[in-house]
Amino acid sequence: MKKINTALPRQLFSLLGLAGLLHTTAGWAQGNVAVSENDFLDEMPIVLSVSRLPQRLDETPGAVTLLDRDMIRRSGARDVPDLLRLVPGFQTSMSFEADAPQASYHGVFGHYSGRIQVLVDGRSVYSTYVAGSVAPGLMSVALEDIERIEVLRGSNSVAYGARAMLGVVNIVTRHTAATLGASARVNQGENGIQDTRLGLGWRLQNSSMRLGVDQQGDDGLTGANGHNRVRRVNFRSDWRTLGDTDVQLRAGWMDIDAGRGIAELHEPLRDTSYDSSFVQVDWNKVLSPEQDLALMFAHNQESYRDISPFPLIPGLNFDFSGTARNDSLTAQHTLRLSPAVRMVWGAELRRESVTSLPVYNTSEALVTDFTRLFAHAEWRLRPDLLLNAGAMAEHSSASGASLAPRLMLNWHVAPGQTLRAGMARSFRPPSEFETSGDVRYAANGKVFEIFYLARGNVAPEKVLTRELGYYGSFSWLNSNLDVRLFDEVMSGLIQVKNYDAQVDGESFTDIRDYVNGDSLTLRGLELQWAGRPWPGAQLGFNHSYTKLFFPNPPTKETLASTMPESASSLFFSQQFSNGWTFSMSHQNSNPFRLQRTGNYKQYISRTDWRLSKTLLVGRNAGEIALTVQNQGPAQADFYKSFAFERRAYVSLRLDN
Amino acid sequence: MTRRWQILLLGLALSVLCWQARAQAPGVRVAVVSSQLSAPHMDAAQALIRQLESRGVPRSSIQIYNPADVASIPEATQTTIKVWVALGTQAAMVLGKSRLKAPALGALVPRAAFERVLRATGHQLSPQFNVVYLDQPLSRQMALIRLALPESNRVGVLLGPDAWHRNASLRDAASANGLALRATQVDDDDALFAALQSVLEDSDVLLAQADPLVFNSHSIQNILLTTIRANVPLIAFSPAYVRAGALLALYSTPTQAGAQAAHWVLEVLAGRQLPAQPLEPDDFEISVNDQVARVLALTLDAQALRLALKQQERQP
Repeated sequence: MKKINTALPRQLFSLLGLAGLLHTTAGWAQGNVAVSENDFLDEMPIVLSVSRLPQRLDETPGAVTLLDRDMIRRSGARDVPDLLRLVPGFQTSMSFEADAPQASYHGVFGHYSGRIQVLVDGRSVYSTYVAGSVAPGLMSVALEDIERIEVLRGSNSVAYGARAMLGVVNIVTRHTAATLGASARVNQGENGIQDTRLGLGWRLQNSSMRLGVDQQGDDGLTGANGHNRVRRVNFRSDWRTLGDTDVQLRAGWMDIDAGRGIAELHEPLRDTSYDSSFVQVDWNKVLSPEQDLALMFAHNQESYRDISPFPLIPGLNFDFSGTARNDSLTAQHTLRLSPAVRMVWGAELRRESVTSLPVYNTSEALVTDFTRLFAHAEWRLRPDLLLNAGAMAEHSSASGASLAPRLMLNWHVAPGQTLRAGMARSFRPPSEFETSGDVRYAANGKVFEIFYLARGNVAPEKVLTRELGYYGSFSWLNSNLDVRLFDEVMSGLIQVKNYDAQVDGESFTDIRDYVNGDSLTLRGLELQWAGRPWPGAQLGFNHSYTKLFFPNPPTKETLASTMPESASSLFFSQQFSNGWTFSMSHQNSNPFRLQRTGNYKQYISRTDWRLSKTLLVGRNAGEIALTVQNQGPAQADFYKSFAFERRAYVSLRLDN
Repeated sequence: MTRRWQILLLGLALSVLCWQARAQAPGVRVAVVSSQLSAPHMDAAQALIRQLESRGVPRSSIQIYNPADVASIPEATQTTIKVWVALGTQAAMVLGKSRLKAPALGALVPRAAFERVLRATGHQLSPQFNVVYLDQPLSRQMALIRLALPESNRVGVLLGPDAWHRNASLRDAASANGLALRATQVDDDDALFAALQSVLEDSDVLLAQADPLVFNSHSIQNILLTTIRANVPLIAFSPAYVRAGALLALYSTPTQAGAQAAHWVLEVLAGRQLPAQPLEPDDFEISVNDQVARVLALTLDAQALRLALKQQERQP
């Protein structure tokens, strides 16, 4: 394994005709391997400059759930949405009916989850094509590539952009220097589970790189039109140009092939394909320990294919295929103004463009430009009092200007005991589909039905969040407790509304449009206990209690049961000294309405467990594991007739 | 005594002094060989010269040489030299390989580097060839951890293959201070991060030991980002690491090293011998990165720590 480390990339690069780039593959420390006084006297590049210093959990402006690599591995989850089940306030689905498994915080309220921000290494991955859905983006990283996931529960558009309306899932991938060498993993099990991954890390002078290629496949939910397969290629390289500058290049490709549909006239059984690729370049410069400058450019393109014939009318196809692209340029300046004040400010220019004749009734690209300005300051008023204040202003060429301000105060009442209080206003601009969707079912020049004809009378939906929090750390138990009490007033939710109209001289009924509809208030409490109480153990317990209030009766009765009133999850893992690790998780909730179950409500009770043994293959560590997901009875998911049944699988992993 | 006799005696005394001065003036008595002309090396040389001058050694009897020039120092000068000072590893190596008529003292030389010089030159530590180490004694490093981080009990270290033999002495120094050592060997720089992850898993603090295989300007970014995420403070051996993001550093400045070398040079000039045992640095500094301390929820005062550590060392 170890030899592959340098030999294989050499072959790879000579094959690609890039051998000239490989001046040397020797280590960074080449030429100077013996200690001398220079090790003591030379200058070092500044690493933990103002923007790189992490925040203490008791000083974060809001509730945070951290999922680290150990926990991710031991959870037995195969993808990110399945992991997010173990975060308080999250609802997840394993179904591919909304293009990919979904995860949402505080409800989906529609077909797609788009009210949380998902970042992968700082790049916003919501889908421009699929109405702002975060589902494909959540699938864009293999779990092995992830260093940690930080979930910020609560509105945080100031720090994370316009989509961070209800919360943020911040996925941080592993540094390439930590993944040198070859690694491999295979999962094989019930329900057609067949996942494989190969990773390769290598060095080129003062840079390190990683290429990960994987595929994840299974037969999907019982009762669904199974056979889902996700294929991914992700590349990351970290370059250190001079002592104080580093450049990172990331690129990736993903393809999600899913079997969809329920054999109904409007939802025929069919295969869909979602394809996306991206390039991201980051340039970071440490100006001084007190100042950093960061630039990021990201380009993403999507292509979607979902086409199926309507059996009753020859020549009529249901077609939702199309393409989209977005480009984003962000500049961010972080600085410490004084020992007590640090601030970050910057701007983002973003262009999104969607092209689909069947979905927008035009072959022209529909372009939306966004300009965002943000500034955020952290001010230590007293040693025990920290104020976070900031605002983000956004201008969208489609929906005008919006402002998202935020204020949070953290008070260290006693050592290890912190109270938080704060409020934020945030918004989500309508997606292109929500403003200009135009889906007509036609054959031979005749329009049979207008499925969607959005009239553009829709403004950003808004949320006003007020929250109180508590963070306590109990060192004697090596544990911490976070409590979040929240009041989230959502107004003008973007919802479908049907209307009748004359179009091109013909009258049509039940045309779908998007409008700002219901307003509602979510009130509740989330509690999170996390700790490592004794050696080798990891214990987490979450509970959330949420109630929905409607100032006016909701347009749809089902809206009131979008999320469970009460939900809990427990995670426990114990590592033994002989290399064995046992972990288990249990999730349960009160009944709530699944995404497409009408009035039918389903409670959740799911238990997973995993037993693993570390292996030593030559100099490389590995692991063999047995995971059983949903040990108990089948759980309905997405549709009433779709079931998540027990899935047992074996995995074999070799680390780099 | 008559006034004439007084004048005669004074004149005699003056002429004796002048004769002595004439005998010494043209000769170089202290030869300083500096590995480099970098700022730290020059700081050490200046401190050395200042200290010697303040104790009456004329500037004209102190000469600074490049290592490359040592071989071409004329025989006549060689005979007047009473003591050699090597500033830096390369200078120590050159002096070790030269046939010197006077004792040589190294300064700004780390322990591992001096051991390398001894192996390469066939010398043994002796009053003829000794050193003031640049790195801090292990007992001082461990005592600092005890003082600064009283709740930390498990000390992690990463050692390259050449430093692995220090494992035992590190363990002894740790246990003498009530600390447990978790040492991990790093075989090559590709294995660094696996080793780092494993050592951080059961360490409360990471103690850096200078080794360019482990700690260098390329690896430091990941080491610091990884340790801070793991909430494990890094104790380093130079203030540059504290500026980069280490919590603490314990080190001697080049000025301190130069001054300590001057003390032993004066001893030799006074006709005494250098000790047979290597010399640990007697003065030191501590730096703290306040921002990192805040992230780790620690309150540390560098000066208070330094004074406390000094006081502790003075106690029997």
